[in-house]
Formats: sequence, structure tokens, C-alpha cells
Amino acid sequence: MSKLGVFDISVRYGKVPAISDLTFHLEEGERVFISGPNGAGKSSFLNAICGKVPTSHGRIEMDGDLLTGRSPEAIARLGLSMVPEGREIFGSLTVEENLRVGTGIRQDAQAIETDIEEIFAAFPILGERRRAAAGALSGGQQQMLAIGRALMTNPKLMMVDEPSLGLAPKIVDQVYDTLAALQEERGLTLLIVEQSSLRAARVGGRMVLMRGGRIVGEGNAADMADRDALAQAYFGNSHPEPEAVA
Amino acid sequence: MSSQHAQHRLAAYSTPLILSAILLAFVAFVVILGDKALARTAAETLVRVTLVVGLWIFVGNSGVISFGHAGYMAIGAYCSAWLTLKPQSKALFLPDLPPWLMDAQWPVLPAAIASGLLAALVALLSGAAILRLSGIAASIATFAFLAIVNTVYSNWEGVTGATSSVVGLTRYVDHWVALAWAVAAIVAANLYANSASGLALRATREDEVAAKASGIDMYRHRLWSLVISAFFTGISGALLGHSIGVLNPDSFYLGITFISLAMLVVGGIGSLSGAVIGVLLLSLLIELLVRAERGITIGATQFALPSGSQEILIGVAMIFVLILRPAGLTGGREFKLRLTLPRIPLSQEPTSTN
Repeated sequence: MSKLGVFDISVRYGKVPAISDLTFHLEEGERVFISGPNGAGKSSFLNAICGKVPTSHGRIEMDGDLLTGRSPEAIARLGLSMVPEGREIFGSLTVEENLRVGTGIRQDAQAIETDIEEIFAAFPILGERRRAAAGALSGGQQQMLAIGRALMTNPKLMMVDEPSLGLAPKIVDQVYDTLAALQEERGLTLLIVEQSSLRAARVGGRMVLMRGGRIVGEGNAADMADRDALAQAYFGNSHPEPEAVA
Repeated sequence: MSSQHAQHRLAAYSTPLILSAILLAFVAFVVILGDKALARTAAETLVRVTLVVGLWIFVGNSGVISFGHAGYMAIGAYCSAWLTLKPQSKALFLPDLPPWLMDAQWPVLPAAIASGLLAALVALLSGAAILRLSGIAASIATFAFLAIVNTVYSNWEGVTGATSSVVGLTRYVDHWVALAWAVAAIVAANLYANSASGLALRATREDEVAAKASGIDMYRHRLWSLVISAFFTGISGALLGHSIGVLNPDSFYLGITFISLAMLVVGGIGSLSGAVIGVLLLSLLIELLVRAERGITIGATQFALPSGSQEILIGVAMIFVLILRPAGLTGGREFKLRLTLPRIPLSQEPTSTN
């Protein structure tokens, strides 16, 4: 049984289809990047899995539990954590309070304290500013905090929507280094939306290309950085790149 | 690291200490002056502290404005009247009370607690419906709740005396009793805000979607905070009844709703300190305006503000605060003691500062 099974789902916003008949599987401990042009349905896909938007068709399972039809908070309790696009931290709460928010669903009070110190060890800048309002952090620090907060729920599967959005390349490298290290340590399964296939190739993992609400290509991230496949996903077959023709 | 954590906890719990000290100083000042009328104003002010702090427990943490809390206040006030009035007066004014309530003559403290519990129970039932709505829809529903409570209490002649006032309540609430309840409300509000549920609720105030993604059941925490909030609001209603001695359903309607929300907004809705400071400042302003309406003599000339200017000027004050400091005078921050434990070990703490 795969970690996450998505069977034939569709998502529509009113009459506009965002995702059509999409099927997808994610294995335990895997790292998968979702790439594709704007409007491909990448964020809708993540939002459908975590219960933020309803599916009009199909079903989603994690570890054999049906996620379809559950509320986002119930899905979070099952061990699926989401770092939303644009980070959505709690600006007027302190850094430490932001981390504690994620622990409301846990019973192990002692382990929570240890985990908070672990997060501060992984992101020293957050530890230094633990009493500061989260809204006063820089973009990169907020991204670290959003990841830290997601980790505090003790997830089995973590989804990250465009961690590189609006961040300087050097900071993006740091974010990915941390994600990779955390995955190694905790045996996390990661599903990441990443626009840049080159970035995905550098970090490594499986890559899934989406376009028009469907999966149009899949493979090893390093191979997928190959121009043909990408050009097809981004521009379609009707406008082949000159190189692809030649 | 853990000593730093303990220090932070200490700083968080210093807020109720500071606020209680401010209120105690206020009462001490009034006692020293020895003015009877002033002592009554002080008691009313402290009852308002209990009310607004009670209101803050829900509004401050959830970010949902409630227009319905005067309803919980009315429920508490009448409950205490039912339990404490002399059976003879009840037979006269409230002939339709059930026999067990007709004969009840409770001591004032258990009656006050029972009033809070009844308000909390009504909050549990009404909140279970209202809090399924979100944002502005929930606020409007709380207003509908207030209108329902007011209509029931204004028409249930044999149980509430309807629009003819209930008189003869023991006026036991002086500034000391009111101070004790205000401090109790402040301590409870601080404990709740620093609890896991309070933190979860403040997160939903910031961002509902992200909070739900963190596994927070917003409905449950909102309902829980409303129940605690209504408990203290109900007690404040009982206290108000026993400080003026007379109950009328319209004392718990639009007027008190407006004043209590104005106090919260002026002080700063985001912090407990804001709730308390808002009550003190606006009560002072109200007192000054009431005196000005009665007439002030300066030298040989006497002048008086036209009646009604009190409400208008409070409205103006609220508008000014909203323009100049949208987050209220405290800006959502708490008064805290900044203790620096690592530098000054507890054992060597200086005993004098000279």
C-alpha cells in the first residue's frame, strides 16, 4: 500500500475545472516535486489532498484512511501537514507561540518541549527570535517558521507549496537543505510544489509535471530537467521548440 | 533554555498582577478620599471591569465581535435576583416563579456563582448554534441573541417583572466585592489566554485557514471561550444588580453593549491590559461628562453640557482612537514585568534599590 493514494479526482471552482481525473501515488519516505506552468492545478492538487477544497469526484487515501470528505483539521490529525503557499504564519503571535499552535493535537507534553528545542536547533535564527512577533521576521525566516510549525504536528506526510516563492536563491538553497536533512532524520514523506525544475533536479527526487489539471509527465527529477519534456509541459505540443523540431 | 522558558512564563503571569495592583491602587485612592458617591462610582467601574474582561475572553481571543454579551449579563442579573430576593417580594413582583425558586433565599456568593453558571449554560446552547457561522455572520447572530433575550425578559411579566423594574435587591456590592470579582476575572482571562485553547483561538483570529491546517478545531475552542466568557459576564450582571439594587431589562440592552465594546476598542481589543485600561479611562471620561452635564461652576459663571453629550463625546473619543491608534491605546500589548533572572540570581536579589 502506498503512503498516499489519489484515485481519479476532479476539482472544480464553479464550472471551471482545476483538476481532471487525476491519479497519483506516493510511496513511504519518497520525495516528489510537482512542477508545471501557472494554472496547471498544482496548488489545487495540494489543497484537495489536505481538505481545503472539496473534490467533485474520486477519492484520496493516506495509509489506508480515506481523506476525502474530512475537514482540514481532521486530516491534520491523521498526520498530514501542509505548509501553505505564501507561508500564512500567525503574524501577531510570537515565534514560539506559532510553533505551539501546531501541538494542540498532540498529547505528549514532554516531547513537545524537546521538539521545540529541536526546531530551534535546526533553525537557530528562530531560536534567537523566539519571543519576537512572527510578523517581524524576514521572508526566509517566515518560511522556516512555517516549516517548523508544520513539523510540530509530528506529520508522517508533509506537503510544501512553493517554498521558493519570493525568496532569494541562497535562502531557497537553505530551505531545501533543511527539508532534505529533516526528511533524512524523521523518515518524512515529502510532496513539494516547485516551479523550477532545475532546482528540483538539484535537490533530487521524483518529479511530476502537471498541465491543465492533469499529470503530463513523470520521472526522475534529474532526467526531467531535460528540455523536451519541460517544453512540452509548459508550451504544449502545438508550439514545439525549434530544438525539439530539429 | 529552560530557565528562559520559565522566565517567559513568569512574565506572562505578571500581567494579572500588574492589572490587579492598578485596580487595588484605584480602590485605595477612593477609600482614602472617603467620598461616598465616588466609592459607588468606583464599585460600578469595577463591575464594568468584570464585564469587559469577561467580554474580552471571547472577543479578544477569537476576534469575533459579540453584541450579545449584555444578554448573558441580563441572565446572570435576574438569576441572582430570583435566588436572593425575599420570598415576600418575589410573591409580589414575580408571582409566576416556580415554588422552589419562590422559596429560595440563597447567600449572595453562591447566588453570584449560580448566575455565572446559568449564563455559561445559555452560552453553551446559544453558542453551539451561533458559532457555526463565521466572521460577520456570527456577530450579527450574537445581536439577534441579544434581541431575543431582551424581548423575553421584557415580556415575561410573572418571572422577570417585564418592563416594571424588580426592586429590593441587597446592595452588597461595594468597591471591595467588585474588586475581588474583577481580579478573579482578570486571573481567569490570563490563564485562558495562555492555555492551549487560548493559543489555538488566537491563531484562528490571525488566519483561519492556516489554523485549521495545523489541526485546530476552531468551533470547539470558540465555544469553550464563549462559555468561560459568559460565566464572568453573567456574574457582572449579578454584581450590577446588587450594586444599584434595581433591575430592568433595558439596563442590559443597547446602552451597555455600546459602552462595553467602546471600552474594549479604546483600550485595545488585542490584549487583556487593553480591556482593563479601556474601562478605567472611559469610566473616568463618563464620570467627568456626567458631572459636566449636571453643571460646573467656574468662578462666577456656571455652565452645563446639554444632556446626551456624554454619549456623543464617548462616540467621538472612540472614533479618534480608531483613527489614531486602530489597535487601541495598548496596541494589543500586555503589561509585563521584564525579569532578568540569569543576571540577577534569585538568592541575591537586591532588597533595596537605593
